[in-house]
Amino acid sequence: MMSLIWRDTKKNIDLISENVPCSYAIEYMPDTKIDTGYISTDKQNIDYEVKISKISKYEPAEGVLQKRKTSLKAILHIESIRKIDRTPISEFKMEKGFKELTSFALGEKFHVEYREKEEFKMSDDASVVIKDADSRGYDIPVSLAYALIKYKKSLPADKYEKLLRRVDLELKKREIDPFEAVGIIAAQSIGEPGTQMTMRTFHFAGVVEMNVTLGLPRLIEIVDARRIPSTPSMTIYLTEKYRNNEDRVRELIKSLENTTIIDVADIITDVGEMTLTIRLDRNKSHDRLVSMGDVLSALEKKKGIIYNQVDDDNIAIKLQQESFKVLYQKQEELKITPIKGVSKISRAIARIDPKEGAWVIYTQGSNLREVLNIEGVDATRTTTNDIIEIENVFGIEAARNAIYREAENTLSEQGLNVDKRHLMLVADMMTFSGAVRAVGRQGISGRKSSVLARAAFEITSKHLLKAGLLGEIDPLAGVAENIIVGQPITLGTGAIDLVYKGNKK
Amino acid sequence: MNFNNVSKRIEKIKFALLSPDEIRKMSQIRVITPDTYDDDGYPIERGLMDLHMGVIEPGLKCATCGGKVDECPGHFGHIELAMPVVHIGFIKEIKSMLDSSCKECGRIKLTDDEINNYRIQIEAMDFSTTDPEIIDMTLKKILEMAAQRSICPHCNAESPKVILDKPTTFREGGIKITPKEIRERLERIPDDDLLFFGIDKASARPEWMILTVLPVPPIDVRPSITLETGERSEDDLTHKLVDIIRISQRLRESRDNGSPQLIIEDLWDLLQYHITTYFDNQTAGIPPARHRSGRALKTLVQRLKGKEGRFRANLSGKRVNFSSRSVISPEPFLSMNEVGIPEIAARELTVPVLINSFNIDKMKEWIKRGTDPRTEDGKYLAGVNYLIRPDGRRIKLTDQNAEINSERIDLGWTVERQMTEGDIVLFNRQPSLHRMSMMAHTVRVLSGMTFRFNLSDCTPYNADFDGDEMNLHVIQSEESRAEARIIMKVQEQIMSPRFGGPIIGAIHDHITSLFLLTHNNPLLSEDDAIHTVSYIEFDKLPEPVIKDGKKYYHGRDIFSLILPKGLNVKFKSHLCAGSKDDKCEYENDPADTYVVITDGKLLHGTIDDEAVGPFSGIIVDKIFRKMGPQAASKFIDNVTRLAVGYLSHRGFSTGIKDYDIPKEAISRIQEISNETLDKIEKLVAAFRSGQLQPLPGRSIEDTLEVEILSATGGVRDESGKIASQYLGLNDPSVIMARSGARAKMLNIAEVAGMVGQQSVRGGRLNRGYANRTLPHFKENDLGAYARGFIKSSYRAGLNPTEYFFHSIGGREGLVDIAVRTSRSGYMQRRLINAFEDLKVDEKRRVEDTIGSVVQFKYGEDGIDPTRSDEGKTVDVDYVAYDEFGDEQ
Repeated sequence: MMSLIWRDTKKNIDLISENVPCSYAIEYMPDTKIDTGYISTDKQNIDYEVKISKISKYEPAEGVLQKRKTSLKAILHIESIRKIDRTPISEFKMEKGFKELTSFALGEKFHVEYREKEEFKMSDDASVVIKDADSRGYDIPVSLAYALIKYKKSLPADKYEKLLRRVDLELKKREIDPFEAVGIIAAQSIGEPGTQMTMRTFHFAGVVEMNVTLGLPRLIEIVDARRIPSTPSMTIYLTEKYRNNEDRVRELIKSLENTTIIDVADIITDVGEMTLTIRLDRNKSHDRLVSMGDVLSALEKKKGIIYNQVDDDNIAIKLQQESFKVLYQKQEELKITPIKGVSKISRAIARIDPKEGAWVIYTQGSNLREVLNIEGVDATRTTTNDIIEIENVFGIEAARNAIYREAENTLSEQGLNVDKRHLMLVADMMTFSGAVRAVGRQGISGRKSSVLARAAFEITSKHLLKAGLLGEIDPLAGVAENIIVGQPITLGTGAIDLVYKGNKK
Repeated sequence: MNFNNVSKRIEKIKFALLSPDEIRKMSQIRVITPDTYDDDGYPIERGLMDLHMGVIEPGLKCATCGGKVDECPGHFGHIELAMPVVHIGFIKEIKSMLDSSCKECGRIKLTDDEINNYRIQIEAMDFSTTDPEIIDMTLKKILEMAAQRSICPHCNAESPKVILDKPTTFREGGIKITPKEIRERLERIPDDDLLFFGIDKASARPEWMILTVLPVPPIDVRPSITLETGERSEDDLTHKLVDIIRISQRLRESRDNGSPQLIIEDLWDLLQYHITTYFDNQTAGIPPARHRSGRALKTLVQRLKGKEGRFRANLSGKRVNFSSRSVISPEPFLSMNEVGIPEIAARELTVPVLINSFNIDKMKEWIKRGTDPRTEDGKYLAGVNYLIRPDGRRIKLTDQNAEINSERIDLGWTVERQMTEGDIVLFNRQPSLHRMSMMAHTVRVLSGMTFRFNLSDCTPYNADFDGDEMNLHVIQSEESRAEARIIMKVQEQIMSPRFGGPIIGAIHDHITSLFLLTHNNPLLSEDDAIHTVSYIEFDKLPEPVIKDGKKYYHGRDIFSLILPKGLNVKFKSHLCAGSKDDKCEYENDPADTYVVITDGKLLHGTIDDEAVGPFSGIIVDKIFRKMGPQAASKFIDNVTRLAVGYLSHRGFSTGIKDYDIPKEAISRIQEISNETLDKIEKLVAAFRSGQLQPLPGRSIEDTLEVEILSATGGVRDESGKIASQYLGLNDPSVIMARSGARAKMLNIAEVAGMVGQQSVRGGRLNRGYANRTLPHFKENDLGAYARGFIKSSYRAGLNPTEYFFHSIGGREGLVDIAVRTSRSGYMQRRLINAFEDLKVDEKRRVEDTIGSVVQFKYGEDGIDPTRSDEGKTVDVDYVAYDEFGDEQ
């Protein structure tokens, strides 16, 4: 059942709450039957739920509360209103996916199922190993416990004992030194192999219009945290029912690919008669599984044209307002009128992934939010290379993992061996503030606490003048500013304030 | 407690604006004359070069502090401006204050309620920890709100809109507001309202952004230089200050004389122009002030800004003494921890030695030697260059005064002695992309003029010897020497923090040599064996094999001499690379498949890149982990010596002969290449007649290209396979490729078999002339030859067309490298700048400077990647193997 979702002021909500049940006039007339409404105060979250008994056309009348003063269209008869737990609008299935609620929208509340987070469960063998280690005072990570299981089984007790002790010793020996400049090491470890990378883009399975940026340009793109990657692309995994059924996969591809009229038909312009004719191309439309009906329903939403179907293949279109300019405009408009598919996804192909042993769909263009809702898509594994999109859909922790994964894939695809700890540090540094920040003057570097460090990086004079007004204090805690004033830095051996008193007589 | 030897630290630096009073207070003299020197070359009193502001000429004394040239730090002066002038750096702030404050009462145009609310909101933000962008945004929002209001809520006065006529003129309703009026308005803004403008009331007052007094920087900041002709040339800043004083004077005179308003305004604008360009000569909207020669003046902002500016060129990077630079060359008989230094450099570079009761006698002896001592047989001996008295005076030692000076030194003096063997120095090659680009070496003084080092150090420095130069720094303090020895020494850097494996190891011919020594376990005659082992240190010769009454030694036994006792390791060699299971692709001898070392003895297997090379070096890795850096460096030194010893004795050479293949092979390659050409022709014909079936999702043109590319790729591989069938492991080039010493089998296939398809941007060549690559092809010719297919081998030689196409392909590679280096360089600069402040604390958390936690446990396991097993926390399987061997 569709619900009406809208944005309103706190004042109006209070007004409704005081007068409930009441009649409330709004400037939007929903075209379906509706019995519930949701109100948002901040474009992003829903705070109130209302029960609507009836919707009628607006007529000025006594005792009708008004959302605003002019252009009112409908009256909602509100039975009750209650404050609900703050729910993000992403939990509503909208006609069109969007990030913000601007005025009115129709949507359906998802049934969101909350599950308790599953506790990580160790295998019994592994927990026995951990227990063995604990009883001897060793702190052994779970991954090593798993590796030790087979030795617990195969080795005699004394040797197993010895092995445990050795592993514990190795762990202690390998711990990172306190005050190590891990940031610089990470930056160097990622930057140094940069010169060995290629700059080519990879053509996906030889499909020319579908390619993925790789190598150095991609790595730069990742650390830049660009709003839109140069080649957005999704990897769509499928649910069990779909992934081994070629026909279903093919159908899914068709429903993914964003198809416009020009993809399946020719548009013929008759300048003399001032008409347009859409001639359906049988081959193309069959290929994309588009029927005449689909085209007609796509035209339904178009304004300023009168259309009628001439025969099986042709639709004649007249203009409401006849002029060459409009004719040309409409022709261009019709070309890109969407018929079906997911917006922003221009191409999709399926391949049998050897690791998976099943069909996987790869796309050019990315629209995570909508694709996840499609029947047959395995939402737990499907992913995109657009980091910002992942941040918007899943949140910052997912974005962190996406940065890590994308960087790791880019480097390993080039055959470069970079420790994952460095990539993790980069991902964590870019995301620990709660939003994805770029590496560079717009992001991390521009927000350093030190005036001198900022002045040394870029835009020197601006930072110095501003610091004077603000009365900023540079605590000289970082590296760049201490080098500038000429004293030891605070990392590594410089982090320790230890003085030898000497033998005084 | 005596903490005299503890260096003091600057705790923090506070920034603020200078008030006019402060400027006058710190000024030593009011400058009133726009001139510098009189005819005798003596500074004019109250001129821009007045002695109160410091001295730059030897002989003169500072009128303020009495110091001589190097003693006086310089002092400020000041200029009283005839009329106030706007400071160009604060234009935006002045504008927003005029917009948001009341013209009459000076209050911010917010109601009392709003003021209280926002004050609480702003004060809640901690300026040192909150994101500056959030502060900016909040303030901007508040100010915009106030600016929207035209009626002041406090005094009901109406403020018309102020327009900024760039760069420095403000207008209100079309009428200009003079800086004087602006200053008066800003003065009215109460201290308590400053918070909303982003001004700290303790550090600044808004009216200070309008200048009434101008500080004159010390002469040391703007020294004049005397040209060879005896002519004086003034600094750009002095030129600008001359202009400012001159105009200010004229303006004052005109004002006092009651000149017409128009003239006064013109002069005022001119003064504004000079002061604006004095601060920033690249202000948008005004022409830059120029020198007589037409060169734009370099004024204050230009001095600070950019790559050549003060911050990046002088403050973030500093020039140093006690350093040296020379061409590098190889020297396999040096240890990897050593560097060979030419005598001339060793004599010039010095190490300071503080005299104490333990070293005074020895240093006296050294001083007596003078500056250029040698042993009787002419060998280098370190001398002394300078003596430094306890009061800091420096005495230059000469051979004449050496004897006398050796008696003068006492406790507390410092002797600057020349370098000697065993000193520790830093050695560096640019670009310094990672920490292994600067490592500590111990000194060996050698003859010649180049720096020399062991070849295994080439990899971390990314050095070769085609003319590369490197830098060397002599460490000057005891603490630094200790740190360099413990942390920076080459042997401590064997493990790369990038991937947790060795980055130092044998290269090129050294790998070839060890390969030859161990592959198939050859027998060496007693003579050969003794010659080979004479290069290394070892305990005892291995057991010989007796054959026909003569002694022979096994290659693997000789190699085992340099392996430390207690080393157990088992792995697949490079020779076996690419093979799955236990079966090697090329190797039939099972003894060569696996390298097995038990208790420091090579039982079987071939030593190659995988065992000792950089990046893989399994043996180096295991020795380092088990026995430490000292043992690992000893092993690498011995590898170098053994390899050179064996290979120079055995002999090894490569040449075009390596690629000779029999006639039948050539004709087989010919055959398959003809087949491919036919196939391509057919494909093109099918394409032309429209019979080519497009692959799904691709156009017909693309399908053709894909098909042709796969055909040409196939034929190259095929010809390579044919060629390598005839080239075995007795072929020097193949030995180099298969052992991982240099080149790949692919390169050999190109030389002996066929070069193959050339490509640009992943496709066949297709540009040049209209629809063809070269003018002697037909237009739209899609055939193999017309699109960059090379059927010749390098050995047979390329025909002119092929040669041209090959150059096209080669250039793409060059362009790619040029673009890549600059792009990746900038990426690394940004990465380092963003991450330089992160450090691990005692609890293995990662923190930034303000104490925000970035990671709660570094790398999720708290393990140093340098010490990890190629990323793994601990390789349990290897640990078990090392402890118990194959039993289990």
